[in-house]
Amino acid sequence: MKTSIHHVVTSRKFMSSLKYFGWGMTIIGGAGVLLTAIMGYTYAPLVQSPPFRSPEAYRILFWHVPFAWTSFVAFCLLFIGSISWFVKRKEWGWNLFCTGSDLGLLFGLGVVISGPIWGSAEWGVPWDWGDLRLNTFALLTAVAMFIVLSRRSQPDGVETRDTLSTVGLFGFVLVPITAIATTVYQKRHPSVVIVESNETGLDPKMMDVLILGVISFWILMTGLSFLTYLSYKMEYELKSLLKKIDEEVVH
Amino acid sequence: MDVLPLIQISGLEIHRGNRLILSNFDFELNEGELVSLVGSNGCGKTTLLESSAGMHTISSGSISWKYDELGLKLVRDSEGRRNSLPPMGLTLQKNGMSGEETVLERLQTVLQVSGCDFDSIKTSELLDCWGLNHRSGDRISQLSGGLARRLSVLSGIAPALLSNSPRVILLDEPSEGLDESAKNLLINWLRSLTSRGHGIIIATHDPDLISSSNRIVRFEDNNKISIDLRSKTDSNFVLPSTTQNVKIRKTSSLFYWAYRMEKRNPIDTINRLIPSILALLLCHSLISEDEISTVGLDFFSALILLPSFISVVIPPALIGRYSEENCGRWWSAVIGPKFRFSSSIIGSSILLPLPLIYISWIILSDNILLPNDDVIYWLWLPGLAMFFVSIASSSLHLLISDLRRAGASVASLLLLVLIWPFLQLTDSLEMIITDGISLGFSLDEPIFMILLAGVTSILVWFVSTYLPDT
Repeated sequence: MKTSIHHVVTSRKFMSSLKYFGWGMTIIGGAGVLLTAIMGYTYAPLVQSPPFRSPEAYRILFWHVPFAWTSFVAFCLLFIGSISWFVKRKEWGWNLFCTGSDLGLLFGLGVVISGPIWGSAEWGVPWDWGDLRLNTFALLTAVAMFIVLSRRSQPDGVETRDTLSTVGLFGFVLVPITAIATTVYQKRHPSVVIVESNETGLDPKMMDVLILGVISFWILMTGLSFLTYLSYKMEYELKSLLKKIDEEVVH
Repeated sequence: MDVLPLIQISGLEIHRGNRLILSNFDFELNEGELVSLVGSNGCGKTTLLESSAGMHTISSGSISWKYDELGLKLVRDSEGRRNSLPPMGLTLQKNGMSGEETVLERLQTVLQVSGCDFDSIKTSELLDCWGLNHRSGDRISQLSGGLARRLSVLSGIAPALLSNSPRVILLDEPSEGLDESAKNLLINWLRSLTSRGHGIIIATHDPDLISSSNRIVRFEDNNKISIDLRSKTDSNFVLPSTTQNVKIRKTSSLFYWAYRMEKRNPIDTINRLIPSILALLLCHSLISEDEISTVGLDFFSALILLPSFISVVIPPALIGRYSEENCGRWWSAVIGPKFRFSSSIIGSSILLPLPLIYISWIILSDNILLPNDDVIYWLWLPGLAMFFVSIASSSLHLLISDLRRAGASVASLLLLVLIWPFLQLTDSLEMIITDGISLGFSLDEPIFMILLAGVTSILVWFVSTYLPDT
């Protein structure tokens, strides 16, 4: 019994320190994201027209690209969580699945909202069916949204978890299907060319802001991952305690 | 030589919701045994009964059934292996019947899927025993709760009753809703069926049923299970005679059942047709011929295919029919691993896509000058591929219907992937309109794009049918 109480107390201390770590990372990451936006407007230079139809709109890339890279990591968490639950049915796997779907939805929405805004301003069309990344992110974000909404509306249990982790895996099997479909579409309907230039690479100042953005988003995601994971872990403990009370009430 | 048990369960562990229901549970049902599962509400009686029929995923252990010629064969295990059950009788806690079926049809369906030979005299005899013969032509929805329960119990017993080889009967709270005379009849039939060598498991709270069983599996607190043995009581009650066992027709019975339900109440066709026709009429009235000529043939092709595409992504009415009184779960237990595969085909829109494409063409192409006059001869090609899109859509809806509150989930988010076959078919139709049909196999050939749309849909279908049962 002593060992058990000791384990609980040390576990609580560990969780508490993780919570502070998560909050710290979230605040630092959030500040970095705001700083990225400010520097994107003030520090980063204006792009050379004419290749850009809307030179001001390019600044959205300082959020769009980090959103995309961060959501990719979140979708990987979702995938690992899906497999973990599907194969081992462990609670940590389910918590990882929940964390991945929440963050995948958050950052995925960032990609599919900022992308069309930029596309509208630059190409005159909000969506390009020939853009592999945009379509893949849209599909995975839709799957993440389905999972998040279903988790909220469905009673928690093994059956629900089995079905939703199946949907998580289904989302990833769709990635190659989307890739083939998009590639064929792109070949039939060549995409809009954004920059007709032989020069490659970004201006060093732009690169500075972009790197700041990516690092800030990753720190933010790390903080949010810890907090989300911990909240699901605590929710599970709370449910277990409620179940014990239910049993005491019945007997 | 030892007589094999009818059901053998080894090391079973099952979770339902957040609860561990059974842990390391071993059980055998032998020929001529009537076993009662007894315990308080929510203790796991129904879970054990349904798991015996392979209806639940299991965390560990295995369930095997005796097949007449093959001996013991695995039905389900924790590794995801699954086989269909031999012929058996099953009555669920809810009746497991659609309200659209007639009383006679229900009994006939049950006998067909369990390989029993029957004629109208035999079915009348069975219905007469349970006081249902005068209602044989009525829909189940018109029966009182008690009569519907009688039919459900009879449907659970009939596959063993007419069989000349030992079979398993699984009955979940069979006496619930039955009056005294029907309950006495049930007890007498069950005793006589055990005398014929059939094995019966019942989950019940009824003391009369419990006292007539010869083994009691009692669920106690803290997942403990105790087993009481009773002396066997033979019965002299005269049962209807057995018939010859004939070929089992499971999947074809499901197809025929779904066809009958749709023919009687065509909600699937109407649900799909109305939005499609509305879309077509709106396209026709809001977009003029001049506008179509201006925006190009790809837009025109998309308009032609749009009503058909709408018709295939509508949720199948079959899902609603399955959810009525756990009807789908009964079929799932009877059909086994092929259930999802068969249902995705049955639930899809088989007949509508092709006529809708032709109707759209006739209405929208009127007064438009097109580069090729032969298009109407080749419209069936994208229509054929649309059939596969329909199966993919149906399988996605079925996947979502696995959720306990399927109506509260956003199915459209998973259907987004079907935009690809639609775009590929639009491309193919545009090519047919521009250059006519050709048999080449490249990106600029319509046949290739139609095949691609078909393959994309088949992949989605395969993944959404295969993964959930893995």
